Amino acid sequence: MISFNRLLKNNVILVLYVGIALVLVSCASTKPPTQELARTEAVINQADQVGAEEYAPLEIREARKKLQQARELESEEKYEEAKRMAIRAEVDAELAEAKTLSEKAQNAVKQLRESIKLLKEEIRRKQRGQ
Amino acid sequence: MRFFKLLMYCFLSVFILIGCGGPPEDNPLLKEAKNNFQEAENDSAIVTNAPVALKEAEEALQESERLWEEKAGKELVDHHAYISKQKVAIARETAKLNAAQDEVERAESQRQKVLIKARKAEAIAAEKRAEEALSQAEKERREAQKARERAEELAERVNKLEAERTERGLVLTLGDVLFDFDKATLKSGGERAVEKLAQFMKEYPNRNVMIEGFTDTVGPADYNKQLSRRRANSVRQALQNKGISFSRIQVRGYGERYPVASNNTESGRQQNRRVEVIISDAEGNIDERTTSD
Repeated sequence: MISFNRLLKNNVILVLYVGIALVLVSCASTKPPTQELARTEAVINQADQVGAEEYAPLEIREARKKLQQARELESEEKYEEAKRMAIRAEVDAELAEAKTLSEKAQNAVKQLRESIKLLKEEIRRKQRGQ
Repeated sequence: MRFFKLLMYCFLSVFILIGCGGPPEDNPLLKEAKNNFQEAENDSAIVTNAPVALKEAEEALQESERLWEEKAGKELVDHHAYISKQKVAIARETAKLNAAQDEVERAESQRQKVLIKARKAEAIAAEKRAEEALSQAEKERREAQKARERAEELAERVNKLEAERTERGLVLTLGDVLFDFDKATLKSGGERAVEKLAQFMKEYPNRNVMIEGFTDTVGPADYNKQLSRRRANSVRQALQNKGISFSRIQVRGYGERYPVASNNTESGRQQNRRVEVIISDAEGNIDERTTSD
């Protein structure tokens, strides 16, 4: 039977490669995603200010939920996952903002059209009435 | 030993072959992101209105695909696919926003036009109202003029009838000379007077008449009363013959009552022998003579 030590000795290059890979992976995750979390929070606030809670409630809640998850991952020191979660939260918030602005503009169009319609009716009524 | 080493390499190469070979497992989120992106890419409104978000979606999609081909972890592939999907959605909303803003601009200018039209319509309506008020005033003026003319005409007609204006209205007196002595038949002069009266009544269909007969005090009162009534009746008959409705004519025989002159002189008696025709007002009403007279 062959011993594990013997196996290692015969595959030095392989062992080295695995070691380097492990170091690289762990290095990439050492920094907490402070910047991403801050940026996500800022975008969520911005979306809130334009009225996302009213016009895009699902999207803004999703963004908040993901931000919370990102913070939890950060506290668990899963920095890489936390960073990605924060980025996903950020695009959710961006979408919430875009949707809010778009809905508002579409409402404005509707109201304008309604007002034009009423004006036209008013004119017709006047012309008929006299 | 050599055998084991060989075996090791065999396993390794098998693992490598398994890892490299065969298609990677399908990733549904990546597929969805890809479809969404392709759809957006073919939408000219999104391409022109949201190029930045679309570009970001494309980059994220490519990253996801690259990771998927390199068999990176599902979480990583999903992450970039999700970013791509959300960026496409953002691009869509941005395109909608821009379209809505264009629409707002167009609608606003249309609203301005309609507003101008509304003011114009208002002005036209006001003008129309003013014109109507004017024409109404003109119409009333003309009607008043007509009424005046009618009144003048009536006055003229009354003059022709030789009627007199009294408190009871217009009174036409047919004198004694128009009847044969002691008879109720009208003479030709009386017929002419009745002819004029009938003509007048045809022209003024709302005016009715009351015919009252009177005598002097010569002879028995009862007889006189009958004679006055017969004379009044013969005037009514003459009017009917000229086409005046029976219902428009009332008849009274007062005999010796209501003398207009003294019965002691011949000329006074002649004045008392008479038939009076009282013409009603425009509503057809005639006051009855009161007995105190």
